[in-house]
Amino acid sequence: MKNRLLIVMTILTVLAPSLLSALTGEEIVRKADDMQIFETSEATGEMIIKDRFGTKVSTFNSWSRGSEESLIEFTSRAERGQKVLRTEDELYLFYPDAEELIRMQGSMLRQSMLGSDVSYEDMTGGKDRVSQYDVELLGEENVKGHDCYVLMMTANVRTVPYPKEKVWIDKETFLGWKAEYYTKSGRLLKEIEILKVEDFDGRLVATETRISDKMKTDTETIMILHDLKIDIPIDDNMFSLEELSW
Amino acid sequence: MNTKLIKTALRNISRNKRRSILSGTAIAVAAMSIVALFSLIEGMTDDMAFNLKTYYTGEVRVKHIDYETYERYNPMHLTVDWESVDRALGDEKTVSTYVPRITFPSNLYIGGSNFGAMGVGADFELEADFQDLASSLKAGRLPQNGTNEMMMGAILARDLKLKIGDRVTVMSTTAARGTNAITLEIVGLFAFPVGALNSKYFWIPLDRAQYFLRMDGGVQEVLIKLKDDVTSRGAAPGIKAAVENIAGTEMDIRPWEELSTTYGMLKMAQMIYNFIAMFFFLLGSTVIINTTMMVIFERMREIGTLGALGMHGKELIRLFFFEGTIISMIGSAVGVAIGIGLTLWLGEIGIDYTDALSGMDFEMSAIVFPKLSVAKTVFVYFYSVAIASAATFIPSRHAAKIEPVDALRYV
Repeated sequence: MKNRLLIVMTILTVLAPSLLSALTGEEIVRKADDMQIFETSEATGEMIIKDRFGTKVSTFNSWSRGSEESLIEFTSRAERGQKVLRTEDELYLFYPDAEELIRMQGSMLRQSMLGSDVSYEDMTGGKDRVSQYDVELLGEENVKGHDCYVLMMTANVRTVPYPKEKVWIDKETFLGWKAEYYTKSGRLLKEIEILKVEDFDGRLVATETRISDKMKTDTETIMILHDLKIDIPIDDNMFSLEELSW
Repeated sequence: MNTKLIKTALRNISRNKRRSILSGTAIAVAAMSIVALFSLIEGMTDDMAFNLKTYYTGEVRVKHIDYETYERYNPMHLTVDWESVDRALGDEKTVSTYVPRITFPSNLYIGGSNFGAMGVGADFELEADFQDLASSLKAGRLPQNGTNEMMMGAILARDLKLKIGDRVTVMSTTAARGTNAITLEIVGLFAFPVGALNSKYFWIPLDRAQYFLRMDGGVQEVLIKLKDDVTSRGAAPGIKAAVENIAGTEMDIRPWEELSTTYGMLKMAQMIYNFIAMFFFLLGSTVIINTTMMVIFERMREIGTLGALGMHGKELIRLFFFEGTIISMIGSAVGVAIGIGLTLWLGEIGIDYTDALSGMDFEMSAIVFPKLSVAKTVFVYFYSVAIASAATFIPSRHAAKIEPVDALRYV
């Protein structure tokens, strides 16, 4: 009897730290979301779009504030001056030759942005995923040398772009190295994979990402961010409709 | 002997007027239907050929060599260099006129919603030589090259509750495989004969389309009309060689007959209708067979007497054959005449397919005018006489086999 008690006590002593520190799926996702939200950010970047017709490069400047506001202004010749504004509730497109702003809604959101593998819908999802998804911790896997939690997130609201997301989140840095997006029935729609990261005071930020729309054949988009600046002062009007038209 | 038989046949026909009229009517209805059907198909084919040549493909069309392969992906970047094609066609002896066009799928952003439509970029000065655009204008004026103006199909404008003076933002995929939007003012409403063009299309100046779609001097296609003395199939190879020589690249240059699947189907339909015509006549002929059989049974005593008096089987066959032939000749003539009358009348007023074609992307005009083909009408006449006459052989042979002794039983 004494021996049994000793064994149980030994096991508890050994496992206690890990049991106490074990994170739930929700906590992992919340930490990952927190890692990606900045007060403000600014970057220049390029989208390298590869499809059956070859490779196309679009360049852009981007700004963001918090998790809900962002602005992209394209600078490449074919799209120069076009802007995509995301506010808390809406997504707007500005075209220099159009007299009105185009508010993206409904099926329009599913359109591809500049022929890339990124849809406008991809830009609409909030970063507070815990409130929008039921999270299930599936296990652990190693992705490119990083130990990751594998989680399956099933949407509990209808306002998210994808009903199911499978994500691989770094156990150490809480960076989502890889994600797969599925339909409700389990059909793979899109794959996202981080290729390069940059360290900002201990927070890893993806600066090169590969996105692949599985509904298309032989396409992928590499999104690269240059000159990324975090938590810099940004004009309050930057994300307003009035500013968008200027 | 034949004259005698013909006289006898004529007498027999007039003796059984009601039966003869019934047989003749069946043939007449079949002949009339086929003449009308052939005329309708002829009218449809001619109409579709005109529409294809004018609005869709020209008589010969120049396009990027790979465009058709990737058409379902909307490859706006697969263009042809307008300047070099223009230079090549300017010296081509078989060419009458030609126009550059850009047809692009787009969304019209109206009141916060998108509405699908097809845009056409066209040089309105060149189009004046290619087609009578001005006569298709229902209201307003043609857009001017170099301006942000458009003319819109009258039905599309009606559906979207738009009018002249309204400004519409158009979104489309560009040749740079991105997207772009531009706001254009509606300055004219058009009504082409083809319903689909009026319910889905809007036209803008070519230079604005090139700018908006980032085409840098490229056009999606060049539509060519030929001089009267050349055929599209004959001229296409020469045009292809000339254009490719100057452009320095291989292009898809083909005559219009090879481009439209609908037209090909219509030509195939013409062949099918020839078979249908045969079945129509066979159906009509069953009435002749039936009435001739009845005549034979009713005139059994007469056949027996004729046989007893020495009329041979072959002569009996000929007698009934003549009867059938005369009825079918008269029936066919009456049927063809009515068919011609009907076609001429419908050719004047037209047949309105507006409701039937609404919402369909079909290169046929909403109002089709049946067209009489003399050769086909003559063919229908002889065809119907031949089939109906041949059909009388079956009962006639039966009459020939009747023995006078058997026939006398009916006395």
